[in-house]
Amino acid sequence: MDGSAELEAAERVVMRWDSTSASASAAADEPMLFDGASGDRIEAERFLRAVDDLRRLAPPSPAAVGSPRCLSSGSSAGGASSAVQVAMARLEDEFRHVLSSRALDLEIEALADLGGSLSISSDRSNSASSADLQVVDEDDSVSSSVGRRSSYRSLPSIREIDLLPDDAVADLRAIASRMAAAGYGRECAQVYASVRKPAVDASLRRLGVERLSIGDVQRLEWKALEAKIRRWIRAARAAVRGVFASERRLCFLIFHDLPISNITITATATATAATAPATHDTPFAEAIKGAALQLFGFAEAISIGRRSPEKLFKIIDLHDALSDLLPDVSDIFAASKVAESIYVQAAEIRSRLADAVRGILSEFENAVLRDPPKTAVPGGTIHPLTRYVMNYSSLISDYKATLSELIVSRPSASARLAAEGNELAPSLAELELPEPENQSPLAAHIIWIIVVLEHNLEGKASLYKDTALSHLFLMNNVYYIVHKVKDSPDLWSLIGDDYLKRLTGKFTMAATNYQRSAWLKILNCLRDEGLHVSGGFSSGISKSALRERFRSFNAAFEEAHRVQSGWCVPDTQLREELRISISEKLVPAYRSFLGRFRHHIENGKHPELYIKYSAEDLEIAVNDFFEGVPPSPHIRRRSHG
Amino acid sequence: MPATDYQGSSSHSHPSPFSSFGRSLLSLRRDSPAVGASQAMPSGEEADLEAFQRHVAAHLADIRGEEDEFLSIEWIRRLLEAFLLCQEEFRVFVAQARRRGALPAAGEKLVVEFHERAVKALDVCNAARDGVDQLRRWERLADIAASVLLAPGEIHEGQLRRARKALSDLAVLLVDDTAASGSGGVASFLASHRNRSFGRARASPSRAAVAGASSATSASHFRSLSWSVSRAWSASRQLQAIGAGLAAPRAHEAGLAAPVYAMGCVLHLAAWALVAAVPCPDRSAALQAHHLPAAPPRAAFPWAPPLLTLQERLAEEGKRKDRRHSCGLLKEIHVLEKSTHKLTEAIDAAPIPLFGDREADVREAAAELAAVCAAMRDGLEPLERQVREVFHRIVRSRVEGLDSSMHNAD
Repeated sequence: MDGSAELEAAERVVMRWDSTSASASAAADEPMLFDGASGDRIEAERFLRAVDDLRRLAPPSPAAVGSPRCLSSGSSAGGASSAVQVAMARLEDEFRHVLSSRALDLEIEALADLGGSLSISSDRSNSASSADLQVVDEDDSVSSSVGRRSSYRSLPSIREIDLLPDDAVADLRAIASRMAAAGYGRECAQVYASVRKPAVDASLRRLGVERLSIGDVQRLEWKALEAKIRRWIRAARAAVRGVFASERRLCFLIFHDLPISNITITATATATAATAPATHDTPFAEAIKGAALQLFGFAEAISIGRRSPEKLFKIIDLHDALSDLLPDVSDIFAASKVAESIYVQAAEIRSRLADAVRGILSEFENAVLRDPPKTAVPGGTIHPLTRYVMNYSSLISDYKATLSELIVSRPSASARLAAEGNELAPSLAELELPEPENQSPLAAHIIWIIVVLEHNLEGKASLYKDTALSHLFLMNNVYYIVHKVKDSPDLWSLIGDDYLKRLTGKFTMAATNYQRSAWLKILNCLRDEGLHVSGGFSSGISKSALRERFRSFNAAFEEAHRVQSGWCVPDTQLREELRISISEKLVPAYRSFLGRFRHHIENGKHPELYIKYSAEDLEIAVNDFFEGVPPSPHIRRRSHG
Repeated sequence: MPATDYQGSSSHSHPSPFSSFGRSLLSLRRDSPAVGASQAMPSGEEADLEAFQRHVAAHLADIRGEEDEFLSIEWIRRLLEAFLLCQEEFRVFVAQARRRGALPAAGEKLVVEFHERAVKALDVCNAARDGVDQLRRWERLADIAASVLLAPGEIHEGQLRRARKALSDLAVLLVDDTAASGSGGVASFLASHRNRSFGRARASPSRAAVAGASSATSASHFRSLSWSVSRAWSASRQLQAIGAGLAAPRAHEAGLAAPVYAMGCVLHLAAWALVAAVPCPDRSAALQAHHLPAAPPRAAFPWAPPLLTLQERLAEEGKRKDRRHSCGLLKEIHVLEKSTHKLTEAIDAAPIPLFGDREADVREAAAELAAVCAAMRDGLEPLERQVREVFHRIVRSRVEGLDSSMHNAD
């Protein structure tokens, strides 16, 4: 068989499958060459061979026209080019058919489980939510239930899944190579992208990735967004490591080493820079670009939202999830220019989330500074702000792995300047931050937060008219701070022993101040001075002065009992210690006073008016102190007399 | 930018008497001893304000360029560039006011308001990015058709078929995108044209029916347009949100009221032009002038005349009969549509084998199409980058705003 006979035979084979002929327009039941098991394998092979023959015997390149090989007339060259076009149109349809009809059902549910640490991370996320911070109650389980830096980093890596069965991929590859060889690579790439793009979009929908505009995200409540962030983290892992990675592989299997997009024959060849090694990536990039930008768009929308303290920990979660994905994003998308822009964008969003984290932290510092002293909490108990700030701080220490990376500068001068300009805190600038060597910026921030809190508490303490109560308030709150620090090893290690020592000192000072201002006057009643009548031999005791002393002691103690039973020391141990400390001073002093002077009274009239209480009565009465409940109207007396 | 620059450029490119009137008003106020020093505004701020407004005017005047450049990719880029420059000047202006301590709570509130407004433009940027992507898809198909026909050597049936197939796929995309853009005109025109053209081809047995059948099957496959914004998102509504409450400050409102207003107007103009230019979901209603915020009074602001000139020019363009139903006013889109149309007609009219005038017609149409494809390839990437840059800058200045207003809140 000579060349032209072979060529004619090839043309005949091709023309049998002219999908552009009018009769073929009944698209639905049109037989396809490549159709899995139902396709005609032999015919398909024959068709591909014919296409190869066409190319071999009558190069479609118009440049070949007029060359010695082209023996036949111009019309024959036209016929061959026409046959090539028919063949290519056919192959394009076949390509589309195989690509769309043989796609395997992607097991999205299995992909979604790519995030193996799901349960842990959601536990952690739940407990770090804003509600727990704001609704602070007695139990401090907030911090104890979190703090395990869950296995965010130990996630499974890229998992490429077969999107089509091997034989279908082989067919696609066979078709694509013919189309590329004939210079129809761009058509092939177009078809590829037009089929895979909706498939990728659908996969993302199934993973729960929503199309939300930035406006939508800004309008949503933070609570709703928290749930969406949780879902996004899971979906993004599956999308990047599963969907996108599998798409890249499919594209590679079909197109690798094929010249598919470098044919721009026009004179203005400026933009034909599609570099050869990356060509297999272009259809991939086109297929996933929209979906990828949309996926990352959500994280971006979150990153530019308003900065309020309750967002911190969820945004750190988001940041960590994205950081964790970035190496894979880089791996998957860095292969071509278009795809690389997706990586660049993801990296930008990560750094924006980092900015948001920093911004929120200083927003928090400011909020602590500015929390206005409105009304004093009754009974001098722990202020809700103290609980909030300390729970927040221990959460910060739970997140210290990430935060130490993100917080690279110490509390800024501007923050302190702002503090200076704040009328609520005129003296704050004088506060010195302890700055031991090798203290991390994060530690400096936490200490700064606590310094600011202390300062704010002092403002709140001054709301109490009773100085003793104001000291008690500070004592309670600083004690709580110290306790929270000691309860959290992470927080303790961040803050360091030096600062903890200062806090402890402050607590001791507040406790001492309280005792001094609450009890000095009462204890003074039990002093000897002023009772002795001056002059005369016999040790003269002024009975009236003594009676007055007892009377005023009784009155002062009753008043203290009445008032301070309503005061509150929520920590049981502290409460007990404080009572003991009071008893230790009061009871021996009273007992000894009683011992020295009781006979002077008992010899007189109505001793029970002056000696109302035994030492034991006082001891019992002290136990009513700091319960935070209105006391029984009278001091219970153990015995009478 | 020194003041002389502005005068230099405005003298030829912007001869409107209003700008000088506005300027002289301002300088009059400054020179008059009766008002000058006693104003609440520190004199440094007044000078800054005047300079800011003049610079905005100059940046807007610089956009105009040659008539045939109007709404080209290059022109849009200049407009975005002008927005970026104004935004930068605004940033500096605010920073200086802040440094001088001349930014009371009310001023900070205005700045925050502007940032909130600007954030609304972020979705426009994202939609425009998708639109640009869409243009790239069109370009690729158009370029197949053009390059096939421009290849050296004779044009045979095969090449014609191939070109026609690419054009018909392109027509499907255009129809879909136009429908998505919310206008019907060109969509139906193209659809009918496609049917007509393929119907005729099919009727002629010698030509074996072009690519009609295959395009019928491909039509549904090409319908892959997906906007990354939410389904219900509408460019027109977004633009209205950007322009909402944009009203000229009254004369007694000092401080930031005027610059914030200027920036609001420039922002709206930039977003509006972007939506007008490229395919966006539901963009057609956006072009109607009654959706525009109230026009800034020409005499009161030096930048108002150049801004209004641009705005009027855009509105006019949107009303033009041949553009009204287009999926984008971008000049390159217009040329692409026109040349696609022309090439399709030329191919339809072409006998096989091609010779003489017919061949010249086809090649000429193909060359036109190839030229616009080249222009798009060259221009779209920088345009996309610049849209992204606008996005970045809006975010950055908002974040700066968040950071600095934080200390001065309450």
